[in-house]
Amino acid sequence: MGELCQAEIAIIGAGPAGMAAAIRLAQAGIRPVVFDMGNAPGGQIYRQLNAPVIGETLSGTDYYRGRRLLRDFSRADIDYRPRSQVWWGQCESDGVSLGVVDSAGASRWHVHRLLLATGSMERSWPFPGWQLPGLMQAGAAQILFKEGGLVPEASPVLAGSGPLLYLLAWQYCRAGCAPQRILDTTPASRYRLPLRYLRGAWKGRHYLMKGSRMMLALKRAGVPIHHGVEALEATGRNRVERVHYYWRGHWHDQDTSLVLTHFGVVPEPQLGRAIGIPYDWHEGQQGFLPVRNASLQARDRVWIAGDGGGIGGALNAEREGRLAALSMLTVSANDVADRERERRRLEHRRATDLAVRPLLEAMFRLPSHWLSEQPDTTLVCRCESVSLGELRRAIEQGAVGPNQLKAFTRCGMGPCQGRECGESVTRLLSTVQARPPQEVGYYQVRPPVQALSLGELAAMATDA
Amino acid sequence: MFQRIAESSVIDGVDIQLDGEIYHIPVTLSVAAAVLFIKGDEEYRRHVDGHARAPFCLMGCCHECLITIDGEPNRRGCLVSVAEGMSIERQLEGSQDDG
Repeated sequence: MGELCQAEIAIIGAGPAGMAAAIRLAQAGIRPVVFDMGNAPGGQIYRQLNAPVIGETLSGTDYYRGRRLLRDFSRADIDYRPRSQVWWGQCESDGVSLGVVDSAGASRWHVHRLLLATGSMERSWPFPGWQLPGLMQAGAAQILFKEGGLVPEASPVLAGSGPLLYLLAWQYCRAGCAPQRILDTTPASRYRLPLRYLRGAWKGRHYLMKGSRMMLALKRAGVPIHHGVEALEATGRNRVERVHYYWRGHWHDQDTSLVLTHFGVVPEPQLGRAIGIPYDWHEGQQGFLPVRNASLQARDRVWIAGDGGGIGGALNAEREGRLAALSMLTVSANDVADRERERRRLEHRRATDLAVRPLLEAMFRLPSHWLSEQPDTTLVCRCESVSLGELRRAIEQGAVGPNQLKAFTRCGMGPCQGRECGESVTRLLSTVQARPPQEVGYYQVRPPVQALSLGELAAMATDA
Repeated sequence: MFQRIAESSVIDGVDIQLDGEIYHIPVTLSVAAAVLFIKGDEEYRRHVDGHARAPFCLMGCCHECLITIDGEPNRRGCLVSVAEGMSIERQLEGSQDDG
């Protein structure tokens, strides 16, 4: 159980970045070990694509684009380990130690180089009632759709901001369950921003055209889209029964049993932070990103590729995976010139693809004062049920930073370990104290970063 | 509250037990998805604060889908696929270890 396993290179995550890196390493004769929380490769974007449940007419073509990657991954010589969670990591002079839990129990690994391809998570964006059953993130709805062809029985309300909201609405229309309405917190004027970002708009025209096609399809299907919704509230006794929204100077009510929200995605930070990688606030992405050099290396022996390093989407993740693999390989390379050409080609395509990002970030920019304008009863920490009012009082009583706020209120001490409240706490402190988020910082993240039983921990401690 | 669309491909099913009752469920679903499919979200889990909670992210982050699987409490239902003969119990009493 506590045996020490070794590998030259470990990759954590089997989404597009992790898969692409593993394939490239295997091509170079290295057999990487890939730890993946999922049951099959694909990550969130290509979930269930190994045995698709929904057809291309429902999913859209971008989903099926991942088939080539999945095919190459399944054919390559890779030590793929699904259903494995890495709960601990430590950088050492000769490599990185990892604690892994899978169905066989706990094991300890020592690897020479590590690639974090742990992806992103949906941004938590509190408002009154967001903890009620009947309110889920749009990504969760997409997972149900991809995993089992599940769609809501009753027409849902979609609320928030960003491309995923419209993709989900479009998919639901295709599947015959058009949303009741879309409550878009993005002001209508923002959709004219491409005129001010011409270079990015031109290079990213594929993304923009896809977005406009979807919006047009929704309008044709008669789905009302309210741009510029300024506030949201979900109410109901034991579950969501109604959504209230502030739009055009008034509160409006809508009866519904399901609200699906989306407020963009941010890198999932737990393992990166736990092994000591510094994270800097990125104003454009409105979140913390790990600090990486041009070779996507975050520190000695550790690389980060894909959305876990900053939001760039699936195509960018794939390219970053290959770039990270090339960077990991150069240490022992003898055909340097070929790899340099490959690297330059990838870098060029990546830069072209990423040119649209500043436009998308400006378009879907969320109001940074949102949280501080919510009522005191709004839950910020879902796990420990800590309200905004409690946090405000603790700040008044002298909790100057995220870690003190945690100690004062238990905010961030629950099972999710601060994933859902971490950046909210940073935002709140930043607004209240009028300090930049970078200066406010984030929770000190400590292992275990994945839930594990005491038995699993004990088995490792005694044997290793 | 969730239904399968007619266009989705035919998937093998497995028999699972949810709170003692047997259900036939598509094999591709996670435990959390299966419970949402069978029971809806109103009675998925009771939080330590006494209120009902249900899965929020379904990708391993939020820990709202905690559930007992084959006798082991507080598993993330979204990370475990259903399997033949699996026994699932909802935690309807307010259920965190340290609660």
